Formats: sequence, structure tokens, C-alpha cells
Amino acid sequence: MKSLLKSALVFAGIGLLLYGAVYYASERLVYRAGDSNPFFKIATTKDRIYDWVILGASHAMPLDFADFNVQMERETGLRILNLATPGTGPLYNRFVLERFLKRYRTRRVLYVLDSFAFYSAQWNEDRFADAKLLQRTPFNPALAWQFLRYSLNDGVQATAVLDYITGFSKINNRERFKPDIWEGENKFDRVARPSAAAGRKRIEYLYPEAVPDPAVFSRYLAVMETLIASARQDDARVVVIKMPVPARFYSQLPDEAAFDDAISQLFAAESVPFHDYSGEMDEPRFYFDTDHLNRAGLTAFFSRYLKTVLVGD
Amino acid sequence: MLFNSLGFFLFLPLVLAVHAVLPASRRWAWLLIASYAFYASFEPSGALYLAAVTLVIYGCGWGMGRSAHRPVRVALLSAGLVLVLGLLVTFKFYDFVAGEIERAGAALLAADTTFGLPRLGVAAPVGFSFYAFSGASYLIDVYVRRIAPERHGGHVALYTAFFPKILAGPIERATTFLPQVGAGLRIEPANLVAGLQLIGWGLFKKVVIADNLAPLVDRAFSIAAYASPIELLVAVYFFAFQIYCDFSGYTDIAIGVALMFGITLMENFRRPYLSHSTAEFWGGRWHISLGHWFRDYLYIPLGGSRTGRIRRYANLMSVFVVSGLWHAGLGYGVGWTFLVWGALNGFYQWIGLATAPLWRWLGDRLPRVSASTPLLVVRILVTFHLIAIAWIFFRAASVSEAVLILQKIAAGIGKIIALLPRYPFTAEHYLGFGLIALLIVIEILDERRSIWKRLAAAPLVLRWGVYYAAIFALLILGRWQAREFIYMQF
Repeated sequence: MKSLLKSALVFAGIGLLLYGAVYYASERLVYRAGDSNPFFKIATTKDRIYDWVILGASHAMPLDFADFNVQMERETGLRILNLATPGTGPLYNRFVLERFLKRYRTRRVLYVLDSFAFYSAQWNEDRFADAKLLQRTPFNPALAWQFLRYSLNDGVQATAVLDYITGFSKINNRERFKPDIWEGENKFDRVARPSAAAGRKRIEYLYPEAVPDPAVFSRYLAVMETLIASARQDDARVVVIKMPVPARFYSQLPDEAAFDDAISQLFAAESVPFHDYSGEMDEPRFYFDTDHLNRAGLTAFFSRYLKTVLVGD
Repeated sequence: MLFNSLGFFLFLPLVLAVHAVLPASRRWAWLLIASYAFYASFEPSGALYLAAVTLVIYGCGWGMGRSAHRPVRVALLSAGLVLVLGLLVTFKFYDFVAGEIERAGAALLAADTTFGLPRLGVAAPVGFSFYAFSGASYLIDVYVRRIAPERHGGHVALYTAFFPKILAGPIERATTFLPQVGAGLRIEPANLVAGLQLIGWGLFKKVVIADNLAPLVDRAFSIAAYASPIELLVAVYFFAFQIYCDFSGYTDIAIGVALMFGITLMENFRRPYLSHSTAEFWGGRWHISLGHWFRDYLYIPLGGSRTGRIRRYANLMSVFVVSGLWHAGLGYGVGWTFLVWGALNGFYQWIGLATAPLWRWLGDRLPRVSASTPLLVVRILVTFHLIAIAWIFFRAASVSEAVLILQKIAAGIGKIIALLPRYPFTAEHYLGFGLIALLIVIEILDERRSIWKRLAAAPLVLRWGVYYAAIFALLILGRWQAREFIYMQF
């Protein structure tokens, strides 16, 4: 038994060394193929101070598709960093913001609001464990510590922390050589044909709980409040917008009016400017799928509304 | 807590560590607790079914041991079998049969006459088919006095519940299992190493091979009507290896885990795709524990091969049809496909039986030709393709879909060679082909001389190199989203 134990220890030791080498190679690949992951952006950004940091879920992502962010910066003369991540709610966005503010400064935070992100743990706590996000998140000891804190205090699964620290998802990434580009970016110049069925399917996906749970909603409202507080602590002003979506899509959102009421009260109490553009720009030619603005839509949205918010605020 | 989940990787060392520090005479109790905890992790209510089956077989077995009267023993055996197997049949088929009766009734009766039968709406707990068969074999073995009824209720409970085998076998016999428990469960260093080797190899087959093939198979079968013949053909080949690696991977892990606890479970797979005939495939290479179960508890009691020609053919077909019904389950739904699959395999046996004299005659006349490598390769390929055709019925959602797949492949077979170079194979396809090629090479080597013996005789650098390669293949190529094992759903 003793010799077996000795062999096992040597075997494990060599294995750990090999694991370290594979981990290192995977980490290098994260930097080589990285692009849209918010932590990759934070790790590789050169500027120390930004005028705007954009947070939110997939509706905020087209603002960084192709050269659109550069275009916005050119037209406004502002430095903008888009840290939005698809399918993420206030908890994940707060996590991103806190990480950003540890190293950099921003004068303002533009939070692109989506009601679905306040109705389910799927878009918040559970999102931390998503291998697709973890496999593109570069390793950083401070971030690992932050992960651990979120696991202890905010209900993030311990396996997500373990995954991040061991780099398992990066090592196991099947798309390790492919650039980290969200699938929507390839459709940025397309125009979608309106489809009621596709819209319904998307709503079902975004709102897995058919009837929103008030307790869950309250929890994420409170998280939003802490996000605003985190930004303020670092002298960043928060501005919230809702992006345009087609009227047909909007009408299918469950209990959107109640959401708007509750969230407006929160923003009013916190003195956070809230601009709701969800009822604007109904034309199908502005969307590359059921609810995301394409290049034409975004260009129009920017010139009609967003530019004023960015420059004027 | 699947074998390929993080939970199991934490559970196993914990159970093993406690097992190691307990006195040998108490280890069965710890294993029983661990087994129930493992089983309840899927569905807590499943533990109740497991306990019920255990009580039934223990009680009936005890009763048979106490009575010398044949009618009493028959009554106890019947009661036990009806309860255990009856529950299995009810779980599997009641809702399906009720639906079919309603459908047939609606077709026969006037359009405005409808009737509805009550539904159970309850699925069989995971692994029920396996421990129900284990329980039934215990009852029959006690009845025919192949074994004495086990007095120790805890040992019987461990026999039905032992966690490595509860989900998908092997369908171990009490005749081999209980004596090992009775003799005390010892941890041997050699068993630990052999167990870890088997667990690693089983995980490789499941997580690297089967689960990498699965998405391509699922995609082609889900769009069978629109898929090209090449896509379907590739899916059929891939499925043959997916189901093999999925199930034999599970079995290897089960045998490896059991070995670490000092229990040797029976071999369940012996390189099945190297079979020279479908009789060899089913008789001694694929799901051996189930094949032996059917042989001992159905085929032989029906008269086996010691009956007239017609009876023998009927017995064979009965076994395969019942085997088809046993396989009908949650994995790919309960449907007529499994009946067709069983009957088709039975039909292969008929052909084999009918042509056996011809092969014997040829073997006598041309011994060198019949034993030549090219002929053996041809036989292996023909057997593989026959089995692969049958698997289409196993995997398809309906008989009509299976027929459609066969029709599309048959219609396009002439053009497939010409179209192959232009087919947009993806990296996933190439990975799949590569993994299958690797598996075939390993199996051929293993067929000639056990791969474990080869490894044991190899220099340390090579041996450890193979281990590291397997471990890092698991890490880099494995699909770790804890996809369920196909057979645990039966």
C-alpha cells in the first residue's frame, strides 16, 4: 500500500505540472481569441478613465458590434467601453462593474435595462456558472477572490468558482480557436422578417417563469440598487435606458407595465435618469432578429436618441 | 448524481475513505447507506420502490426457504415475480397500451364516440428495469435451489441497491454477489489500480466518444425527413458507436467502482463490434448479463435448443421480442420501434440458425478459407452492419421514421461515394471519425491480448503516458455537461 501511495503522489505531481502547462496554454488562447467577454475587455483595455461604461444584456451588445463603438466615440468625442454580456441581469452586471471599478474609472454608467433579467436566477446567479462565459474570462486572482465573495454572499454556485479557479471551462473549451464573437454580431447588417412564432419562442426563453415571482423581482431590484450604489461610491453617475423593440414583441412581454412602474419608482428614489425608448422605432427594417437593432436601426437610434443621452448627460 | 458528474467525483472518494476505515464486517452496512443515498439523489421516492422490491424478494425468498411444499414455493415465486416484474411492466407499458387502446377504439367506433382510459402518469424510477431483473433472478435461483435464501436482510438489500450497478447493471446474480459480501469486503491495492483504470476508460468512452458523437446523431435523427443520405448514414454509424461507448462506458465505471470496494461484477461487454455473427454479438459480447438472464430465465425454461426445430425458432424469437420490450423505455420513448428492433434481431438469429449447416459444411470443405482473415473481416463487417440497421429502429422516434431513414440511405447509396468529397464535414465529424478509429484500434489490440495486461507489461513511461493522455483527453475533449447514460433510462 505504501509504494502504491508513493506512486500515486508522484503521478499526481506530474499530472499537476502537466495541468499547469495546459492551463497556461488555455489562458494564452483566451487572450488570442478574446473579444466580447467583459473581463477580457477589462483585462486588455489601455485607457484608465472612461466617460461611459455600458452594462446590460444582449440589447446593449449591438452598441459594440463591428465598428459601432468607435463610431459613437468619434461622433461624441467620448471614451466608451461596452461591458454588456448576453443574458445577464443586475447581479452579473454589478459583478462586472465592481471588477472594472477596481482598476479603472468611469464618469457615467449606461445601464441598458431588460425586464427579463429581473425575473429569474437563470440570468443572475446561474449565469456565473455558464461555461461559455467562464471559458472566455481571463484568470485574475483578484477576480477569483471576487467570485468567492459572490459565492458566499450572493448565492453564486460554488462550482462556478471552482470552475473559474481551475480553468476547467477554458481547458475544455471546444471553440478555443474561434474568436469570441456573439452570434448576433454576424447578423448585424441583416434585416429579419417578422415572425410571431420566433417572437413567442424568444419570450418563452427569456421569461422561463410564466408568472413573475414578486420575491425574485424584489431581490433583483435590491441588487440594482446596490449596483447604483457601487457606481456612486466611485463617483460614477448611472443612467438607465430601455432599448427600442418592435411593438409586437413589446406587447408580448409579461406584465411590462408593472415592471416599468416598479423600476421607475426605484430610479426616481435614487435620482437615476431613466429613458424608455422601448416604444420607439417599430419598423421591422431596424432589427436583425426578433428584438435586436441592426446597423440601420442602431444608427437611427443613436442619432435620434442615444447621442443626446451620451453627450447631454 | 451521474457517474460523469462532479457530485459523484466527490461522493466516491468519501464513500471509499469511510469504507476503508470501517471493520470488514460492517462495510456492507455503510455501502448500503451510500447506495440508498446515491439512488435517492436522482429521485427520493425511488428509494421507496427499491426498498419495496428488496422486501418482496427477501420475504418471498425467505418463505421459499422455509417451505418444502411445492405449491407454497410456487405461490411465493409467482407472487414475487408478479409484484416485481408486474410493477415493471405496468410502469413501462400501461400508459402506452391505454393510449393505443383508445386510438384503436376511436378508429373502430363512430367518430362522435370517445372514451378515455385512466393514466398512471408515473414513470418507472431510474434503473428499475435492472434491479427488478436482479430481484427476479434471485427469486428464481432460490426457487430452483441454485442458491439458499439469504438470511441476512442487509446483504439482500445491498444486492439490489449496490450503487455502482443500480442504474444500468450489470444485472449481477445473487449467486456471485452475495458470497462476496458474505466473505467481507476488502480493499486491495491491485483492485484500486484496476478499478481506477476501468473508471478512466469508461469515462473516456462515455464523455469523450459517446457524448461527442451524440449531438451529430441527435441532429440527423431529429430532421430525418430533411437530412441528406450521407448525414443519415454518418448518424447511423455514429449511433452504433455512441450507444456502445455510452453503455459499455457506464459498465466499465460500474465494474471499476465495485472493484475498488472489493466486489467483482460480471463482464458485460466483450468488444461486440468484433463479433463474427449476430449470434455471437448477442450471445456473448453485448450486454452479456442481460443475454445470460434471458438465456437462463426465459430461453432455457421455454425449452431452449433442446426442442423441435419450430419450437426452437419460436423460443429464439420470443427471447428477442421480450428483449425488445424490455428495452422500450424512457430513453427514446415507448413505442413499436423496440418491438421491431427485437423482432429484427430475432430474425437475424433465424437466418443464422437456418444457414448454420451451410457454414459448417463450408468450414469442413474449405477450412483454410473459412478461417482466413479476409473472410473474418467480411463477417465482422456484415455483422456490424446488420446490427447497425437494427439500431436505426432503436434510435428512431417511430417505425415510419426508421423506415424513412433506411429508404433514404438505400436510395442514395449509389451516389454517396461520389458525394462524399463534397460533403461539408465539420471538425466535429472528423473528431468523431478519429475517436471511432482509435476505439477500433484499441479493441482489436484488446481482442488479441488484454489491453490491461499490455499496459502492465509496458515500461512505466509508456504506461503513465497513456494514463496522462487519457486524462487530458477527458479534460480537453470531454463533454462534461453530465449527459445521462442512455441505458439508465430503461
